[in-house]
Amino acid sequence: MLSLRNISKSFIQRGLVLDNLSLDVSAGDTLAIMGPSGSGKTTLMNIIGLLEKPDSGMITFLGNDIRNYNDDESALYRSSNIGFVFQDHLLLPHLTVRENILLPILALKQSRAEAQMKEEEAFTLMRKTGISELSAKYPGTISGGEAQRAALVRALVNKPSILLADEPTGSLDADNAEIMGELLSEMNSELGITLILATHSDKLAGKMARTMILGHGKLI
Amino acid sequence: MIPGLAGIVIKSVRFYKRPVLYQVLIVALLSAVITGSLLTGWSVRASLKKTAAEHHGNAAILITSGTRTFDLALAERLRDSAKLNSTGVLEINGFCQNLSTQKGVYNTHIFAVSPGFFRFQGCDTVRINSGEVAVNEKIANSLGLKKGDDLIIRFNETGDIPADAPFAPAKEEGRSVVMKVGIVLGPAASGNFSLEISQAVPENIFINLQDIIKDQTSPVKINRLLVANNNSLTAEAVYDILKKAMQPSDLGLRLIPLRKTGGYELRSDRTFIESSLIGEIHDQIPASAPLITYLGNRFSCRTASAPYSFISALPESLYPEIPEGNDMIINRWLAEDLAINKGDTIEMAWYAPDSLSRLIEKKENFCVKRIVDMEGIWADSLLMPDFPGISGSESCSEWDAGVPVKLKEIRQKDEAYWNKFKGTPKAFISYDKGTGLWGNNFGPATAIRFPEDIGGAEILERLSGNLDPAKNGLRIIDLFNDSQTAASESVDFSTLFLSLGFFLILAAVVLLSFAVTTYLESKHSQIRTYFALGFRTRWIGQLLMAESGSISLMGCFIGSFAGILTSMLIIRLLNTVWQGAVQTNTLSAFFSLTPVFTGFLISAVLTGVFLVLKIRLHLKKLNRGKKTFHSPPSRFWNLIFLVFSLMVSLAFFILSVINRDKEILLCFVSGSILLVFMILLWRYYLIRPGNLLSPGTGITGMLSKLYYSYYPSHAVVPVLFIAAGIFAVFITGANRMSFNGSQLKPSGGTGGFLLWCDNTIPVRSDLATTTGRAAYALDDAELSEMRVVQIKRFAGDDASCLNLNHVKAPPVLGADPSEFISRGSFSFASAVKRDGVTNPWEFLSIPASENTIYGIADQTVLEWGLKIKPGDTLIIRSENGQRLNIIIAAGLKSSVFQGYILIGLENFKRYFPSVPGTSVFLVDGDKNLTDLYRNTLNERFENNGLRAETTNDRLAAFNEVTNTYLSVFGVFGALGMVTGIAGLGFVLLRNYNYRKREFGLMLATGFPIKRIRRLVFSEQLIILSAGIISGVLPAVISTLPSLKSSADIPWLYLVLMVIVIFVQEF
Repeated sequence: MLSLRNISKSFIQRGLVLDNLSLDVSAGDTLAIMGPSGSGKTTLMNIIGLLEKPDSGMITFLGNDIRNYNDDESALYRSSNIGFVFQDHLLLPHLTVRENILLPILALKQSRAEAQMKEEEAFTLMRKTGISELSAKYPGTISGGEAQRAALVRALVNKPSILLADEPTGSLDADNAEIMGELLSEMNSELGITLILATHSDKLAGKMARTMILGHGKLI
Repeated sequence: MIPGLAGIVIKSVRFYKRPVLYQVLIVALLSAVITGSLLTGWSVRASLKKTAAEHHGNAAILITSGTRTFDLALAERLRDSAKLNSTGVLEINGFCQNLSTQKGVYNTHIFAVSPGFFRFQGCDTVRINSGEVAVNEKIANSLGLKKGDDLIIRFNETGDIPADAPFAPAKEEGRSVVMKVGIVLGPAASGNFSLEISQAVPENIFINLQDIIKDQTSPVKINRLLVANNNSLTAEAVYDILKKAMQPSDLGLRLIPLRKTGGYELRSDRTFIESSLIGEIHDQIPASAPLITYLGNRFSCRTASAPYSFISALPESLYPEIPEGNDMIINRWLAEDLAINKGDTIEMAWYAPDSLSRLIEKKENFCVKRIVDMEGIWADSLLMPDFPGISGSESCSEWDAGVPVKLKEIRQKDEAYWNKFKGTPKAFISYDKGTGLWGNNFGPATAIRFPEDIGGAEILERLSGNLDPAKNGLRIIDLFNDSQTAASESVDFSTLFLSLGFFLILAAVVLLSFAVTTYLESKHSQIRTYFALGFRTRWIGQLLMAESGSISLMGCFIGSFAGILTSMLIIRLLNTVWQGAVQTNTLSAFFSLTPVFTGFLISAVLTGVFLVLKIRLHLKKLNRGKKTFHSPPSRFWNLIFLVFSLMVSLAFFILSVINRDKEILLCFVSGSILLVFMILLWRYYLIRPGNLLSPGTGITGMLSKLYYSYYPSHAVVPVLFIAAGIFAVFITGANRMSFNGSQLKPSGGTGGFLLWCDNTIPVRSDLATTTGRAAYALDDAELSEMRVVQIKRFAGDDASCLNLNHVKAPPVLGADPSEFISRGSFSFASAVKRDGVTNPWEFLSIPASENTIYGIADQTVLEWGLKIKPGDTLIIRSENGQRLNIIIAAGLKSSVFQGYILIGLENFKRYFPSVPGTSVFLVDGDKNLTDLYRNTLNERFENNGLRAETTNDRLAAFNEVTNTYLSVFGVFGALGMVTGIAGLGFVLLRNYNYRKREFGLMLATGFPIKRIRRLVFSEQLIILSAGIISGVLPAVISTLPSLKSSADIPWLYLVLMVIVIFVQEF
């Protein structure tokens, strides 16, 4: 489904981060990418999500070369196919939990009926993740674990093919990290979403079908 | 429910209250300055319109004869026949003194009015009793007058015959009356009535017309006719009505039956008849012909001579026997007196017509062609014009011919001739010859004669309604519209205050930039989230624009209202502490939606464009593939610009040393570029390599340097603000117009003269002559070095910077430029080129051609008052109403002539012949005796209402306007800087927010809080010092020429400002 070939990326201050890296991910796959800080995990996630552009290499998604997508095409790719979960939940502080979760629906041009249907599915997911009671609350008034679950639901609202989770449990305590890990696995098994996550957690990585180590710009 | 874009915006604005408030306040400041400036401009113009309306009262259209007069009967006829609501006024200049205190007011407007004047103005209850005058509040306040006080009024007496016309009887310079103050008139009772276009409150005296007339049997003469507001009435319509109503008598023409020759002749009350009128009469009655009769001093032939005889120059059409050229017919009496035979040569001597009592005798030889008997057309005593000092005399010894008459030369036989034949001419030449000899600025003829077959009634009928008022000294002025236009085109205070508030606007824009950057930076992670969620860049841009835009709109809206208050404050300041700029305290704050909406719109567009650019740049940075982290500043480009700016600054400085003429400008440019250099140098200091870990640097200092080397803008911007503010205040102070040695040099604004004298009653003597000086007792030995340059003046609307209105008819000065050329007086800012002219003053001596002459004025007057430039043509009206084209030959550097147009003396006399004597003196001499000269002149010319002031005092009065603008600029500049520094508070907060981790680290590693505080204090002290040095040094270079002439630097102001900055920073 997703294929990265000979991807290289460097920064002026950090030098070469990804060095001729290649990766293939199939539909429904679960992949944990591990590696030390600064090894390029986030950069790799951003490149997959087209938030950053590689210096060289090729990215194909469902057989289409997406590396040279323009801004609008990239945005459409992300809103239709990618769900992002960050280490910090990055919920918008001025919107309620419910509004935050429904926000991605705005990014896609769709009919009112489709939007309504996604809204209902979002409520289902909220119930499933145990945050339905927090619907009217603002992110500043809920716990980190709750906020991260809300961020997960937000990432799933548009039914993406791939869920990119960058250190999703990095800022959570052990209990919440456990819950989060469970939820991610459930989403993969129940919704068939391809899951790529970057993590330092062996426990979380253990829940994934594949684990790859990123070091010296290459995946091992 | 999914929140829409608008919902997200509203929630965001409500959530981020503090940054929103900052942004709102900054935009409000920007909007307040812009709206306030625009509304101030609007208010000033509206005030000028209101003042003009108050000054003119109901007078919408003015018929004026300038320095001449016309019959009040014309006014009455217009009122009765054309039903014009009008009133006649005699406006004269004079001065007055409180009899008991002797305190005086110069340049008083004296309006001799009929009782109908106040009715016309809608003040029915105002009455001036006979023997009393009404004064306006300004005069009453100046002189401490109240009802019943005695007032001495001295004024320039009007008359039909111009004072400088040949053979005008010698008259006293002005006339004095003592009247009681009957009433003090406020503005509502027309007390501030004025026909001038100026915002200044006039000093008015109203007097009964009947009280001012000497000869109660003569027709009442006026020089202004006011026509009231009437929507359907235009100046053109009034012109038509006037033309139809005009009769020859209105122009002072009298029809005289001729006993000797039959037929009629027209004579003028002015004695001489102008060419234009002769032409007009000829157009209506082609058979008419002009003649001129002149008084000769002497006829001589061989050893015999006959004194004081009239000679007529007659038209060939009516006198076919008249010989041409230098052939002459003489009468039998003269022939016998001088024993002349036909064919003999006779010498005739006469005084050439000239003003200022300059008596130049001219002589010419004629050949006696014929000797005629004293009968018929050759014994026509009516050929002698009505010279008032001669015509009614019983004997020659009683003559008041306006020229010295040597009574000793008058023989018994001459008296006998006068007794028998009166002024019957003794000799006759052709009109063409005569007009060439005696034709003068007042006209080429003394009468117009008509053939016998044209009756008097026919002449009057053909001329009535057919004489062009405009060609005969009458002008119709659309007073209301002209004054409203002058106000509309007045000094643009909107632009002025926008310019003066430049620093404040700049401060607001820089702060806005900070606020928006901070706001966008605070939303950095949110924007990243939007990108991650798949929102398009355009949508994110729209969201950010909607958020920032709505905040800005709020700021613009609040700022627009604040602008109204700002405008009210500015108007109040202009009426008080900044009165020097407007010369009045009568400005009112007016409200209009137009400037407020315009201010709102400009602010909105300005901030909108700014936001679009800022947001686009920010999004571009954040978008994929772009670096999202802060880049270290480039030392290379900093160094390049640093060296480049230093070189350019040095180059301009060297040029200023080489080119002393442009030293001021070049130094200013050099200093301004040096300011850029200083800022770049400071930035380079912050980012230079090797600085960070240099030996001896403490750990705290190192941390500071590390931080500022990475974020130099956080230290550069405060320095920029402080330096720019100090620079502005410094140069403002140093450039205040003050006196220095160069102004007193001949090439300076004083022309090297010591005194400028302004007199209300013209002085008719030539003070360059011994007799002229003796007439005013200026022949004392201690005054021997005092030299006076006399200048004639024709009144107009003040075009100096003291008048805010756009003036189109400035006062005209007639000066002989030879004195200025020989002394090298005054300097020119600009001049047109013409072959053969090496000094622009020479333009004034070029004779007129087709009503076109050259003129010179102050560059400031040209640019601001008249809005023209050298090479342009200023069209004004000559005394008789003809269009006079004045080509502006040059613009003077700031001089004592500000407010005037200067033309050559000869051209002045040609186009303004009725202006008597001179009204302006420039006095030079021993500068140690300046006070003596001033006191002597004030005393000796007291009856002329002369007011002598030093030329530097006069320049200082004009400089006050510039200095006030500079003060406003200084205040706005300082306010801008203080605002900028105050606003920078939150920028500094942001800086310290950035450095939270740094300070946390320091605390964690055992640094005491005191040391961190000391670090912050030291940093701010260095920033403050850098700002002061970066501002003062370039300012010194910029103002070096002024500093060398000991300019007035506002040190106290600067120190206070530094203290304010210091307090604000900590």
